[in-house]
Amino acid sequence: MTYLSHLLIYLNIYVIVALGLNMIVGYCGRLTLSQAGYFAIGSYAYALASVAWHWGFLPSVALGAGLAAVLSMAISLPSWRLKGDFFVMVSLAVQIVILSAIYNWYRPEAPLGTLRNLTNGPAGISGVPKPDMFGIKFDTVGSLAILATVTAGVCLLLGALLLKSPWGRVLQALRDDELAAKGLGKNVRLFKLQAFAIACALLAVGGALYASYVSFIDPSVASLDQSVLMLCMVVIGGIGNFRGPLVGAFMLLAFPEVLRFLNIPIALAAEVRLMAYGLLLVVMMHFRPQGLCGSYRIE
Amino acid sequence: MQVAVNGIITGLSIALLALGFTVTYLPTRVFHVALGGVYTSVPFVAWTCLSLGYPWPIAALCAFFSGVTLSVACEAFNHGRLERKGASSGVHLVSSLGLYIIIIQATTMIWGNQPKVLRVGVDSIFNLGGLVLTRAQVLSAVVSTMLLAGFYVWLSFSNLGLQFRGLADNPVEMSLRGYSVRRLRLVSFAISGLLACASALAFAFDIGFDPNGGLTTLLLAVVAMIIGGRRSFIGPLVGGVLLGVVRAEVSWFLSASWQEAATFILLSVFLLIRPEGLIGRKGRLEAEA
Repeated sequence: MTYLSHLLIYLNIYVIVALGLNMIVGYCGRLTLSQAGYFAIGSYAYALASVAWHWGFLPSVALGAGLAAVLSMAISLPSWRLKGDFFVMVSLAVQIVILSAIYNWYRPEAPLGTLRNLTNGPAGISGVPKPDMFGIKFDTVGSLAILATVTAGVCLLLGALLLKSPWGRVLQALRDDELAAKGLGKNVRLFKLQAFAIACALLAVGGALYASYVSFIDPSVASLDQSVLMLCMVVIGGIGNFRGPLVGAFMLLAFPEVLRFLNIPIALAAEVRLMAYGLLLVVMMHFRPQGLCGSYRIE
Repeated sequence: MQVAVNGIITGLSIALLALGFTVTYLPTRVFHVALGGVYTSVPFVAWTCLSLGYPWPIAALCAFFSGVTLSVACEAFNHGRLERKGASSGVHLVSSLGLYIIIIQATTMIWGNQPKVLRVGVDSIFNLGGLVLTRAQVLSAVVSTMLLAGFYVWLSFSNLGLQFRGLADNPVEMSLRGYSVRRLRLVSFAISGLLACASALAFAFDIGFDPNGGLTTLLLAVVAMIIGGRRSFIGPLVGGVLLGVVRAEVSWFLSASWQEAATFILLSVFLLIRPEGLIGRKGRLEAEA
């Protein structure tokens, strides 16, 4: 039961992440690699606020989401002019800047949470408290699973409402033909700004949930491998509609569990897993470039 | 002066990788991310040959051979097939990213995650009229200059080089005139692997290597290509040297941890003010990727 709850929490985190990433990749038509950076911003904001400043669950998550939404301008402003390969490179650059900021923004002598030591560097932040809301303490795996499910449900509802609304249709229009959308009088730049901000905020919410569950974070949450994994999730599941990312999140969760039964030596398990993801990416691109249940092909 | 010369020498190695990237990007429009994997894995091949007791030339030959094979295999088994299906550039990019992951993970599985070096101890030093250069720097400068010069001579004067420039200009017209585009694409991936190998060996000989930095270094090369001008073959050389000098000066006057920041500030300035690069020319709107 604990194991199932554990899987459920991860599934919910992945679902939130996939939902956010789908907004950028599937609805804005921009491949990106900076998602782990925004995920990490959410994790670190949550950890800092709850460990160093003793904030509650909701304000900490809101801080992370707000910060990620503001910092999303680092990739949404370049998206005004760039697309395709060069946008990917810019997002990769943003990812590297975030990662190096997390690594370097600390002084060993300064206490955590001051301006000179925001991230604790390579050591990471440990002892992140479990969520505490309205007097209820979510300190068992089961209760955390319920909290994660509720959070993911709220995010899914909001996402569904947004993407099915006229706002979502404009996003699809500017993905398919930016010039035409502009010609119809839509403020293309503003729409991109909003979509990226919402998507990055969602990623940060996923990151905050992750930090509150594992209660220890270090710079590896912002590593490029994580970005690639998240990209795998949406690319394999399918992009451009609502169900694709859900399938992708489920696949990404189920895949390592299946590999677990194949008796791979522990020392090689991580490499084999990543290699399998790489192979999946290549194979998918050859035989089904829109993903398992996607409705939009990457340009 | 010393700092500038150091920067130029590093810049030449960056330029080699950037040129290797451009050599596939211009004619085939494939964003060859897997080149980062080639770059990462070849020093390990050289290291294995050296630790088996073979001399340097044979180790370098083995490394070049494996790098070229790997790069050509990417085209033969992945990009060539995708191209025949009419895949978009994003599909090429994602599959290349997949290949990059596969190559890196295979390298880690075979050789482990530890940093390694190609030479032992302190390097010998040359003194050239006030400038102090290490043997690794001199070697890397000489090899880079020779390779770059050789490439430009080949590109400008040989028949294949002419076909190559034609392919970069207009692939459809090239195939209509009866040239084998498939063969030319294979050649471009081979050259790209060769240049990436040279750059990787130069860096590895100077400062050592590990399996984790490939994509970051490739990113540096792409930045060099963008600031130099992505529509010409000379652009990467100019951009690479400029980037090397700027990075060296920044780490001299500020600190080494500002290098990345300086690189990306330079990139954003160029993307905002002069997106076609230093010596690039503006393309037509529908041709802009």
